[in-house]
Amino acid sequence: MKHDFRELKLDRVTRRFAGAGGHAFNALDELSITIRRGEFIALLGPSGCGKSTALNCIAGLLALSGGTIHLDETRIDTLPPEKRGFGMVFQNYALFPHMSVEKNIGFGLRMRGVPAADIASRVAHAVKLVQLTGQGHKLPGQLSGGQQQRVAIARAIVIEPPLILMDEPLSNLDAKLRIETRAEIRRIHNELGRATIYVTHDQDEALSLADRIVVMKDGVVQQIDTPHQIYAQPANVHVARFMGYRNLLALDVAREGSDGVDLAGADIRLTGVRRQAGSGPRAAVAIRPEEITLGEGPGGRNTIAARVEHVEYCGRDSLVDVVTASGTRLHVRAVTAPAPGADVHVHVAPERVLVYPPEAA
Amino acid sequence: MSAAGTLAARAPTDRVLWLVAPAAMFMLLLFIYPFVYGLILSFTPPQGDWLANYRKFFTTDNLWPTIWTTLKLALPATIINVGLALPIAFMMRVKSRYQRWITTILVVPITLGTVLIAEGMLTYFGPKGWLAQFLQLLHLYDGPIRLTHNYTGVLISLVISGFPFAFLLILSYITGIDPVLARAASTLGAGPREQFRHIYLPLLAPGLAMCFCLAFVQAYSVFPSAVLLGAPAGPTRVISIAAYEAAFEQYDYSLASAIAMIMGFVQLIIVAAVLGLRSALYRGPVSGGKG
Repeated sequence: MKHDFRELKLDRVTRRFAGAGGHAFNALDELSITIRRGEFIALLGPSGCGKSTALNCIAGLLALSGGTIHLDETRIDTLPPEKRGFGMVFQNYALFPHMSVEKNIGFGLRMRGVPAADIASRVAHAVKLVQLTGQGHKLPGQLSGGQQQRVAIARAIVIEPPLILMDEPLSNLDAKLRIETRAEIRRIHNELGRATIYVTHDQDEALSLADRIVVMKDGVVQQIDTPHQIYAQPANVHVARFMGYRNLLALDVAREGSDGVDLAGADIRLTGVRRQAGSGPRAAVAIRPEEITLGEGPGGRNTIAARVEHVEYCGRDSLVDVVTASGTRLHVRAVTAPAPGADVHVHVAPERVLVYPPEAA
Repeated sequence: MSAAGTLAARAPTDRVLWLVAPAAMFMLLLFIYPFVYGLILSFTPPQGDWLANYRKFFTTDNLWPTIWTTLKLALPATIINVGLALPIAFMMRVKSRYQRWITTILVVPITLGTVLIAEGMLTYFGPKGWLAQFLQLLHLYDGPIRLTHNYTGVLISLVISGFPFAFLLILSYITGIDPVLARAASTLGAGPREQFRHIYLPLLAPGLAMCFCLAFVQAYSVFPSAVLLGAPAGPTRVISIAAYEAAFEQYDYSLASAIAMIMGFVQLIIVAAVLGLRSALYRGPVSGGKG
């Protein structure tokens, strides 16, 4: 088992399961990615998208149906989990209920035959790293959820694995603790300097933690990119929807040129930019509520007339639903909200109108 | 404190609690009353003082050794049953195509009465039984086969009738342990053997102790197979045979009650010893954190 590495290479990793009626389906379909030392990778997607399957395949808890995994030059997908030596943090923590915090954290070291004196000092260091000093003799059942979470992290990192795998580690914590622990996880990652693969369905977590995000849907990778690119330039409609592009309009393509795409609906005229190649007269258009502004655009371009239907006060701003004369609904974030029933104009910058091929009906 | 006290005092007025009444009644009529009746009966012998029955038991040469005779059968049978059931149940813990079939086959003997098992064993293991004929046919073993009407016969029948019980009990304990714990252990470098030793065994230990107690109590009260398959006059003269003889051959119910009390007391000692050991072990939830 190695402690350090240069890269982990997944090549067309596939996992099939037998589904209902004997039909096999691909829970994970040809995932290929190369993860370098020091990287923080988030696997992001809704439940059932295959992100946990991918993590279990890397950990060795699930056998592959196809593809290979290499750690540097060593092929590891044929090894059992105990021979891979990756640290894993489970969603429900999976702490050993009959062992004290210290025994839990030291378990991996004991399995590796590390001398007792070394175990004690390394466990003490790990306990300090996750700020659980003084809790070492308690049983997991005596700790709060947040503390259990930190024991689980300490147990995974104390063996100094080349790779730490985290399966929705924050989903059982309350909102405040989640944000604190999030920062903690990134700090620990930076301190160890190895690589982390982090599974989550929460785009905020993925955006704030990861160096690169793998967005998945139905077992298929949709986009692998930096958080900024994923957020600003989703590769397809699925990623856009998942990343909070709540306005998804089906419009006609009036003209397509190198300077942009002119789109037309019943009472909507918009110019946007092509994000995913497509042909044909129809297009799916994604716009984020934050990027629609109340008022007319420069020269009256990319402006839509509508009536305010509903206002939801959110504190920092308001979520305003407006409806055009033909009944198209748009979600807009506005700092100063107009009164419901008011006639307004909204506009959006052409480079923030993302054009995709139409979704299959 | 006083508020809590008032609340606690008010709690028993919960009318749902009356639902325990039938069960409590049942216990009282069918267990506690006969037990107390037998206890009193054992201290009121027809002749002699109140301890006469017990004095007689411990000074008669064909009575007091039955304690050891029964122990010598019940303890090995229990150890074999629990010891066999543990690895097999461990292998059956993962749901698979064969699990249901194997479990069904292993459990079948529990549906057979001990008398039926004894009948079958006499035919199969007897001196002219199928096993002997089979071995002689293949010339694997030509000597006489003595597996019935002795200690071995009773032991085998105790294993056949007791194993399914131990197996089912242990299987339910094992499947109650969150499998994610073993997976967590495997990512930390524990192979299957270490997972069993460090995760399953400590979490199972209290359940194993419980299973041992129940299997032992069952084996210690062996009667039909000791008569049918054993040598009830000698090596398998178990304590229940002594009680039976006192009650239905000498019609001394008082002495029979005393023997039954002694039998219960021996069982109690073993159970208390095992449960005492258990209290030194971890007893708590067997899942790894918040569900």
